[in-house]
Amino acid sequence: MPVQRVSKEFKDISASFQINPLTNDLIVIKNTNAIARSIRNLIFTQKGERPFEPNLGSGVYGILFENVDKQSASVIRDEIIEVLENYEPRIDIIEVLVKPNYEASAMDVTLQYEIVGINVPAQELTLALEPTR
Amino acid sequence: MPLVNFSNLDFDQIKTSLKDYLKANSNFTDYDFEGSNLSTIIDVLAYNTYITSYNTNMVTNEVFIDSATLRQNVVSLARNVGYLPRSRKASKANISFNIDVNNTQAASITLKAGICVTTSSRFASTNFTFIVPSDITVPVGSDGFAKFSNIDVYQGTWITQAFSVSSRLPNQKFILSNPGIDTDLLNVNVRESETSTVQQKYTLSDSLFEVTSKSTIYYIKEIDDERYEILFGDGVFGKKLEEPNYITISYPVCAGPEADNIDKFRFSGSLVDNNGIVINNGISLITTNTASYGGKDIEPTESIKKYATQIYSSQNRAVTAADYEAIVPTLYPETESVSAFGGEVLTPPAYGKVFISVKPNNGVYLSGDLKENLVNNLKKHSVVGIVPEIVDLKYLYVETDVNAYYNTDIAPSSSYIRSLIIENIQNYSNSKSLNSFGARFKYSKFQKIVDDSHTSITSNITTVTMRRDLEPVLNSFTEYEICYGNRFHVRSELGYNIKSSGFKVSGISDTVYFGDIPNSDLKTGTIFLFTLNSPTEPVILKQSIGTIDYVKGEIVLNPINIISTSIVKSIPLIEISVSPYSNDVIGYQDLYLQLDPSSSIVSTLADNISSGNDVSGTNYNVSSSYTNGTLIRS
Repeated sequence: MPVQRVSKEFKDISASFQINPLTNDLIVIKNTNAIARSIRNLIFTQKGERPFEPNLGSGVYGILFENVDKQSASVIRDEIIEVLENYEPRIDIIEVLVKPNYEASAMDVTLQYEIVGINVPAQELTLALEPTR
Repeated sequence: MPLVNFSNLDFDQIKTSLKDYLKANSNFTDYDFEGSNLSTIIDVLAYNTYITSYNTNMVTNEVFIDSATLRQNVVSLARNVGYLPRSRKASKANISFNIDVNNTQAASITLKAGICVTTSSRFASTNFTFIVPSDITVPVGSDGFAKFSNIDVYQGTWITQAFSVSSRLPNQKFILSNPGIDTDLLNVNVRESETSTVQQKYTLSDSLFEVTSKSTIYYIKEIDDERYEILFGDGVFGKKLEEPNYITISYPVCAGPEADNIDKFRFSGSLVDNNGIVINNGISLITTNTASYGGKDIEPTESIKKYATQIYSSQNRAVTAADYEAIVPTLYPETESVSAFGGEVLTPPAYGKVFISVKPNNGVYLSGDLKENLVNNLKKHSVVGIVPEIVDLKYLYVETDVNAYYNTDIAPSSSYIRSLIIENIQNYSNSKSLNSFGARFKYSKFQKIVDDSHTSITSNITTVTMRRDLEPVLNSFTEYEICYGNRFHVRSELGYNIKSSGFKVSGISDTVYFGDIPNSDLKTGTIFLFTLNSPTEPVILKQSIGTIDYVKGEIVLNPINIISTSIVKSIPLIEISVSPYSNDVIGYQDLYLQLDPSSSIVSTLADNISSGNDVSGTNYNVSSSYTNGTLIRS
C-alpha cells in the first residue's frame, strides 16, 4: 500500500480583511474553505490578470458574454477543468457540471472534488456564473 | 529569517524571497498555491517591489554618465562638465553663377539670406534645398555681369523664429522648436523693440573668458528631443535683455549626411539690386565647384559619453597628446580619426612641437586652409611655447592575395564566390577596426571573413604585403625616409625583398626600380637601383643608394633626383611593397592603416577533394603561402 502523505493544515488569509473579534487578528480560512476560495479565485481570474503569470486563470469571464447554450456550457467546463488541473494540485476533480440557466442568463456550475492529503469527504461547490460589466 | 535580498530585479526571484520569508515567519501555508488569497497578496507585493526596484535602478543608472541611456540625461550630465554635444551638421556645397544685368541700372546685386538653390530631380529620393546663411552682395562688373563665385551653400530649410522679451515672465525661455538644427549656422539678432530697424548681432560664447556685462553673446544648450535653448547674459556675464527687446533667430533645419554628394542644382534664391528691384531674369545655370559634403548627424550619446569626460579631464586645455586627440574632433567635426604625439618621440627629436594627423571623413588629406584654421584654433587651447603642427597622413596600405578554395558542388559559380569575397573584403576594409590610428590588420580575422563568405569555401591561402606610396619631389635631389613601422620579412639573402613600381632618375634613360640586398646579419641592408632586361633578368645600375633596416621596417634613400614615375594618381607616386615579418600589420604612431581592396587579388580555385571529383588529390591545385617571385610591382 502506498504511503499516504498527510499534509498539515491549509491556511489562508480571508479576502474580506475583517478582524476576528476574539483574536484581534485577521480572519483565517482553513482547509476546505481555503481550497474552495482558491478554486473560486482561479475560475474568476482572467488570463493575463496576474503580473508575470500570463497563463494563470480561465477564459470563463469572456465566454459568459456568448450565447447561453450548451455549447458555451461545454467550453466553460473545459476551461474550469484546465485551470484547476494546472493550478490547484490540492484537489482531484470528480465531476464538473455546467448547466445553462436560460431565465437568469447564467451558468450554474456544480463542482465535485476530493481534497488530496486531508481525510475529509468529497466536496461540492456550486457557483452561478453571470456576466457582469 | 530576515528578508535580505533587496537587489533582485526579477519578479520571480522577488516572489521566491517573499515566500521564503513567509515559510519561516508565518502560520499561513497557502502561499504556494496560485489560487489562494495569500498568493494574490504576494503577487501584489512582489509586483510593487519589482516596479520600485526597476525604477530605482533606472534612476540610478540615469544619474551617471557612464550608465545613462536617455539622450537628454546624457546631455544634461555632459553639461555639468561644460560639454555641448555637436549638433547636426548641414551638408555644404560650393557653387558659382552669374547674373546678366545689362538691361538694368543695377550697380550691385544682393543674394538674400535663405533659400538659394534646390536640387535638380533626384531619383527615388527627396529634393533638398540649400541656403545661404547671410546676404551676399557682389558688384556688377564692366561686362554687365554680377558674378557670384565660390558661394558656400548649406542644405536645410531656413527658419526664422522671433521672441519678445517680457519682464512679466521671470523664467522666460527661448527655445528653438525644431530638431535637426545646425547650430554653427545660427543667426541671432536683437532689436531694441519689434518696431526698431536697428539690430545687433549676438555671437555664440562657450566660456566666461573675456565676457563683460556689455558683451553681446549668447549661450546654447541642448534640451529634450534634440532641440536647443538659447540663453542670454544676465548683466554680469553678457548683456542682459530687457523688455521690449525683440529677438530674431534664424537657423537651418537640415537632413545631415542624407544630402551629401549632390552636384546638380537649380537656382531658387531671391535677388535684389541696389535699388531694391527684384531680379528674376538673366540668371545663369549653376556651376557646382564642390558637390555637397560634410553633412553629419547629431552627436550620438556614445560619443558624448566618450568625449565629455575627455574634454573635462583636459579642462579644455591641450597639454598631453590625449588632450589634442580630444579637442581636435570638437574643433573640426569632420574628423574621422585623429592621432597626436609629441615631437620628442621622433628621431631626431623635434622639441616644442606637437604633431597631429587628422583623417577627415571625406577625403584623404586636410586642405592647407583647414590645417591653418585648425592650428589657429588649437593655439587657443595649447600651452604657450608649444607649436601644434598638422601633418599629412602617412598611409600604410595592406594588400592581400587571396586564393580561396571552394567546393564546386555547393557553389553557384566561381565568379559569384569571388564577388562575395571581394564584397566582404571591401566591407572589412571600411570597418572601424582598420580605419583608425593604432589599428591592426588581423590576419586570422581576415581569413575567417574570406572563409565565411560562402558555405562552399573550404579554405583559403592568403599572403599579405605592406605598401607605402612615396611622393617624390621631381627634378631635385631629395633624401627620403619611408617608415613602415612593422618588421620586414627577409625572404632571400640574395635580396629583392622589396618591390617597387618603376620610375626614372636623372642620368639613366631606362625605367629603374628599387632593390635591396641584406647584410650578413640579415637585420640591415643596402638599397640599389636596377632595371630589367627581362622579367627575371635584373641589371643593377647603381649600388648603395640608401639603407634598409629590416627590423625597424625603414628605408632611407640618399639624395636622389627622380624625374618621373610610372604611376601617377593625380600626383606622381612610387609604390614600394614588402612582406611583413608578421601577418598582423599594425599602424604605429602617425601611420594610418588601410586595407587596399583595389590592389588586392582574389582568385578562386576548385577544391576537387571536397567536391569528390578528385578524392585522391592527385591533381590538387597547390597555392603558395609566400609572395610571388617577381622582382618588381606589376
